[in-house]
Amino acid sequence: MKADAVIIGAGISGSSIAWHLAKKGMRNIKVFDASYLTAGATGRCGAGVRTQWGTKTNCLLAKKSMEFFEEAGDLLDYKEDIEFKQAGYLILATTREEEAIFDKNIKVQHDIGIPSKRLTVQEALQIVPHLNPDSFLSASFCEKDGHLNPFRMTDAFYQAAKRLGVEFFFYEPVTDIKTNHASIEAVITDRRIIETDVVIDAAGGHAKEIAAMAGIDVPVFSEKHEILATEPTYPMQDPMVMSFSKNIYCQQVPHGSFLMGRSNPDAKHNHDVTSSWQFLEKMAKTVCDILPDIGKLRVVRQWGGLYNNSPDRQPIISSVDELPGFYVACGFSGHGFMFSPITGDLISDLILDKEPAINAAALSIKRFDETSNGDYETSVV
Amino acid sequence: MGMRIQNHPILEFTEKKPVRFFYEGKQMVGREGDTIASALHANGINVLSRSVKDNRPRGFYCAIGNCGSCQMRVDGVNNVRTCITELTPNMHIERQRGLADDQT
Repeated sequence: MKADAVIIGAGISGSSIAWHLAKKGMRNIKVFDASYLTAGATGRCGAGVRTQWGTKTNCLLAKKSMEFFEEAGDLLDYKEDIEFKQAGYLILATTREEEAIFDKNIKVQHDIGIPSKRLTVQEALQIVPHLNPDSFLSASFCEKDGHLNPFRMTDAFYQAAKRLGVEFFFYEPVTDIKTNHASIEAVITDRRIIETDVVIDAAGGHAKEIAAMAGIDVPVFSEKHEILATEPTYPMQDPMVMSFSKNIYCQQVPHGSFLMGRSNPDAKHNHDVTSSWQFLEKMAKTVCDILPDIGKLRVVRQWGGLYNNSPDRQPIISSVDELPGFYVACGFSGHGFMFSPITGDLISDLILDKEPAINAAALSIKRFDETSNGDYETSVV
Repeated sequence: MGMRIQNHPILEFTEKKPVRFFYEGKQMVGREGDTIASALHANGINVLSRSVKDNRPRGFYCAIGNCGSCQMRVDGVNNVRTCITELTPNMHIERQRGLADDQT
């Protein structure tokens, strides 16, 4: 089998890259996944999309992506509802230090036209009345942020890419990438060899292992993050409520359930995605502190998924100097879903040698070679 | 009481004390030891909730508190699993509308 490009990973990133490449004219694109569409981090994510970031790069990625989401149904000619709900992200500042960071972040956001604003406790309570007013000092809010269904969004890219001729292969893990000196020769799966000279690593939690098959070291690691879902209830909370210092994000999705997650500072660097009671206990305590009414709801299920973290918690969307034809889209540090449109746009521009929409150097894998004095993203749960 | 088993080939049911309760404001009588759902069934009420999307009737189903089919509003509390909650005197039981709205 021959291909002009092989994409490894059929999550949101791989699907978006496939569609963008095909849309810009590339043909004979093949996508391989070890499991099914959205089986990895995409289908396990918190389904939030936001523009309120601390670094200029992340703000730009988010803004471009949000503009895409606003038109996604039409752009991809998708008949189902992608459940895009722009009810905002309300981010709580709980310490003086965090308030200072938010003041700084909001300047970065305003510089590129993100309509975020700082809110007092009283103003925040008008948006989410069941907030515990004693649990925070002030807040940051952007009405453009919100919710999007990860399964539907990926399916939209997948269906549109297929209509443009992209071929998808599921349950077919890539086992090796054959190179000869500084060029790619083939991708090998558990059942075939695909001759190609372009490979895109969009393998999410397994991106490092895939790159290693081609002899490339990508400075990322994977760690488990957990989420729980409550029973559905009547609509009672419009925006996502989030706090970096309290370590929580919590939103009510359109069908009525609350989804919430937090990170575990002691998480090991591996591919474990099992659920833990420790998460359940800590999550329950955290949410009852800032949103006490949610404590009345029952938990119906919980799950885990992988963050693929980069050293500065910003994505790596890059070509690789040592191996022309090899591209990586990973290290999203928990935010690959919300950055997926711009990921597809940038990778396809790199491959097709077009001028990218965002300065590619800031996202290049090369930024980790130099003694880094770049921005570190602190606005992360 | 229509649905209550009076004669059983193996088990014996001794007469238990009546318990008064209210369903949608209407006075009804169950028996001591009843769950809310069994008391409602004995009174001929077998639609306990409605599906959120299509408003289809939902009745007694798993009987162990897992499925959510019997969730009702009891004394103002939403989503009470009536199949595993014991009936107590003067309980007010209501059917929920859609996703357990906050109206009384």
